Amino acid sequence: MDRGCCWDSKEIEQADCPRISEGEEELLVSKRQRNLEKCSDCPRFLSDLNRLREEANPLAPVLINLLAEYNRQKTQIQSLISFLDNKTLEIRFLHELGYVLQSSVNLDEVLSVALTAITAGKGFGMNRAFLLLCDREEGVLKGYLGLGPRNLEEASQVWDEILQNDMDLQTLAQNFRLNKLSSERAKFHDVLEQLTIPLSNKEHIIIKALDGKRPVMVEGAFRHPDVPPELARLLGVDAFLLMPLISRNRRVGMIIADNCITHRTITEEDMRSLETFSFPVAFAIERASLYDKLQVELNRVTEAGKKLKEQQELIVRMENMALVGRITSSIAHSVRNPLMIIGGFARSMLKNSPESDPKRTFIESIVAETRHLEGVLDEILNYSDSLYPTRDFWDVNQLVETALRDTADTLTSLGYATAYIPGQELPAVYIDFKQLSYCLRTVLQNDITGLGVDRSIVITSQRGEECVILRVEDHSRHISQAELDHLLVPFSETRDLGAGLGLALCKTMLEKQGVPFVAQADLHEGIRYSITLPTRKEEQP
Amino acid sequence: MSRLLVVDDEANIRLLYAEELKDEGYEVVTAANSAEAAEKLQGSTFDLAVLDIKLKNESGIELLQKLVKERHDMPVILCSAFSCYKDDFSAWLADGYVVKSGDLTELKQEIARVLAKKAQKAKAGA
Repeated sequence: MDRGCCWDSKEIEQADCPRISEGEEELLVSKRQRNLEKCSDCPRFLSDLNRLREEANPLAPVLINLLAEYNRQKTQIQSLISFLDNKTLEIRFLHELGYVLQSSVNLDEVLSVALTAITAGKGFGMNRAFLLLCDREEGVLKGYLGLGPRNLEEASQVWDEILQNDMDLQTLAQNFRLNKLSSERAKFHDVLEQLTIPLSNKEHIIIKALDGKRPVMVEGAFRHPDVPPELARLLGVDAFLLMPLISRNRRVGMIIADNCITHRTITEEDMRSLETFSFPVAFAIERASLYDKLQVELNRVTEAGKKLKEQQELIVRMENMALVGRITSSIAHSVRNPLMIIGGFARSMLKNSPESDPKRTFIESIVAETRHLEGVLDEILNYSDSLYPTRDFWDVNQLVETALRDTADTLTSLGYATAYIPGQELPAVYIDFKQLSYCLRTVLQNDITGLGVDRSIVITSQRGEECVILRVEDHSRHISQAELDHLLVPFSETRDLGAGLGLALCKTMLEKQGVPFVAQADLHEGIRYSITLPTRKEEQP
Repeated sequence: MSRLLVVDDEANIRLLYAEELKDEGYEVVTAANSAEAAEKLQGSTFDLAVLDIKLKNESGIELLQKLVKERHDMPVILCSAFSCYKDDFSAWLADGYVVKSGDLTELKQEIARVLAKKAQKAKAGA
């Protein structure tokens, strides 16, 4: 038989077979390989086979049948390979997705990945997806996030952008989270607002799907008896997929996916793939939510630990303070009584001694020194007293009026005029009344010298944000800011005890109560004090 | 002449008070503790008592409570070395409070104020 083709040649030239392309040169020298790959559907080979049949060769029909079967199986294998390739791609995609989902505990990141995977061409390729999350406290399924174009124009723009940038899923999701999460939320705000359904509404198709824990494919939504017309109108599509998110048998949320732009049919295959994907997504969402809760609890525990430490320190401090209290009490009685006796008798003697008595000067010295020592003692006792602030809610006007009443005699004898201008609707302040009274009294009658012509003190109170600001303007005492600052330092090197620690003590007392105390001096205007009294009960500082 | 009872565990303080208050025109009886005070109070009337808040082995506050209960017509002025007693609610039972000082002016003023108040009250009652 004359052969019209190269099928029987051991080695051929490139020109002998038009079916062998560049890059397939090995087929030129391998007859077996060439027969399997090229000859089975080569018209010239088939022509040779037909001639064989025409020549009534009994092998010809057998060979033709075998060849047909071979070609059929070959096509089937290619189809299976293609199927396997697709599955491999899908597995790779799910692997990539799984990796991203497993490595994230950030809820927004997880949601971004999930919705990107559903809508990206490299993923499930749906046009649009909405994510609804279960809010167990409110008992609702609530629209949380949407992703996808709202119209064809936007769709073209987005898909062109994705094609040009050729990003992988993770990059796409990251890009979405960083740049588009807020805008997509805003874009779908109206839809998400209406996608809030009570979990108790068991007849609603979405809740039914959630409770059934199975995906539901909705077709013919506008006429579907189970689909509320408002839902169909809201989504604006006739077909959509409801994919419940279930983790460890708990309802986490729902994904609604559709092809609102291309109107491509959602296949059974799409549904199964999405179902496979929904498990890790649900798990990741729940884990991220739990992580958030854990973080909150951790912060609480940290805060509680901090408070416990503070309490421990407070207990130690209180023990120390109790010790200081006992010591100062002991000093008070051990020192004040003898001082009182010495000073008292000295005064008595002075009172009864004639002006001409040469010893009168000595007695006067005793009186002066005991007075000084009593001043020292008062300051020490007041300082120790400042270690125990006992705070409660008090009326500011009562505080100011008490201080003015207590100091009225002294201030009047010095020729002072005082005025109080109370603020409107002052709330109660949270202070140690006794200490604040002391501070106000000290501010009003401190021993700063340099009395000016204008002997007036004006007190004003004003409501602030969670505070009442008390201002005392003393126009009589003129001092520089540096000197005043120095007076506010307790037990400073250049000041002796009993030499007027009052202002420094006030500052210390107020600081211990967490009450800001500011003193501003002006050589011409006098001194302005500002005391910010809290109106809210807070922890002891 | 108003009769005053002075209770203080310090002998020199008792002496000082007695001298100074006598100079002011008061009749002064002194006691070193609550037992002695009770003894002096027995069958006698006093216009006012001056109590030290911290007596040896006992509290002046307890004595104050007893006096308020048994001699409610006799005002009491508390004297203390420590100003924080002003915040002791029990101390509020007293009619006056003075921090001890070698300068007795404040004590004298307080005695005069409380006695005047008592007299005014008695006048209003009559």
